[in-house]
Amino acid sequence: MVSNTGKTLCPDAFKPVNLPEAVRVEENPAGEPAVVWLGKRQMVKSLEDRWRLDDEWWRSQAISRMYYAIVCQTGQRVTVFKDLLQGDWWRQGTG
Amino acid sequence: MRILCILLPNFPLRCEMLTGPAVVTYSQGSQKLVLDFSPGLSGLQRDMPVQEALARCGEAVLVQGDLSRYWSVFHEILDALEQRSPLVEGADLGLAYLGVEGLQLLYPTDDLLIKAVREVVPERFSARLGLAEGKFPAYLAALRSPPHGHLILKGDLKSFLNDLPCEVLPVSLKSKRKLRDFGLRTLKQVSALPAGPLMAQFGPEGSLIRDLARGLDDTPLYPRFLEENIEESRLLSSVTVSLEALLVTWQSLLVRAFLAFAHKGLGIRSMTLWTRTWNGLDWEQKVKFKEPAMNPESALGRLKSVVENFPQPGPVEQLGLRITGLGHQCGKQKSLFDEVRAREHLLEDIKQLELRLGSPQVFKIKEVEPWSRIPERRYALMPLSR
Repeated sequence: MVSNTGKTLCPDAFKPVNLPEAVRVEENPAGEPAVVWLGKRQMVKSLEDRWRLDDEWWRSQAISRMYYAIVCQTGQRVTVFKDLLQGDWWRQGTG
Repeated sequence: MRILCILLPNFPLRCEMLTGPAVVTYSQGSQKLVLDFSPGLSGLQRDMPVQEALARCGEAVLVQGDLSRYWSVFHEILDALEQRSPLVEGADLGLAYLGVEGLQLLYPTDDLLIKAVREVVPERFSARLGLAEGKFPAYLAALRSPPHGHLILKGDLKSFLNDLPCEVLPVSLKSKRKLRDFGLRTLKQVSALPAGPLMAQFGPEGSLIRDLARGLDDTPLYPRFLEENIEESRLLSSVTVSLEALLVTWQSLLVRAFLAFAHKGLGIRSMTLWTRTWNGLDWEQKVKFKEPAMNPESALGRLKSVVENFPQPGPVEQLGLRITGLGHQCGKQKSLFDEVRAREHLLEDIKQLELRLGSPQVFKIKEVEPWSRIPERRYALMPLSR
């Protein structure tokens, strides 16, 4: 395993973009998102896409996520993922 | 196109009111050339060097011509001619062309037209008039008409042109001499030649010579472009060679001239500076401005460089300026690097803001790992000033 060197380039200078935001999601029995809280409770109308991301398994904090591209009842499109290691839900843009 | 030629023979001489044998000269650079000469003097030609003219006619009185005065007299005549036809071209000193197409309603016959034109030309210039199709035939008709008379050419010009000498052709003195050297004396001889050899000898002028000799001239009439001319001049209290004194006088003339048009938002586009020395020598320079000079100071800057580069021929006793072109302030050429400078200014402002607030305030998106599968690793925000 390669440990994090802790070396960063000017920590005050760079700011991350598109960090995941925690979101409240209610799952259906299959473990897929059924209801998403985006300011208010919204039913998931359909699942457009899904993909799994496993990365940085060689680091102390590995990444394992299950992404869902969903369409809400209101027509809003959102991408959310479930952290498979921690079990919590996050919202993130994927562009 | 039917054209009426108004020929005022020996115009400079008549302006000078000279009676005896005289040669009027003008200066071109350092050379003095013949502008006009009394009809009695043989062997002289216009634009001939004065030394050559004196060698042929030593008894003639030499008169330094005042071109600006001659032109101003001639322009007065052209102004008067414009009362008869709107199409008036002042081709040369003492030579004017009038477009008469469409004047039949005003002047049903040619004689009435000629009478009307003659009324506006002063008697002392003994104008000769020629009416024909095209400029050159009209000029020849005027040339062949008797003093105070007129000649109207109609139909076939061949018999009229055949006997005329080559000297009547409006071509350079060099070409006229060359024609004489080739033994070509009359227009008939020239018109009989094929175009090729003429062009081989005379270049583009060869084709013109042949056409003119055949009475063909499709040169359009160039009516005068009317522009407001503003003229200011001053007679100095004492002759001077001092450049500073001349410039101060020109500055005062410029200030006076600007009063006439500055309030209309106009500036000087072109002007002519002139001086006259105590011994009668003329100095004249045309000054053109890339952008109209909107005030006397900016005009004076350009004027100064001209005066310094073209020295006066002697001590000056009179000077003036003639503003020949006015124009509105035109769009300015912007710097090609304007955007670069704007960016530099912006960065400077951002740095100031950082210094004041203690941390970066404006960021730009920078690619970090654009290939990464993890969305938050692909881009980062970086301070704009770094």
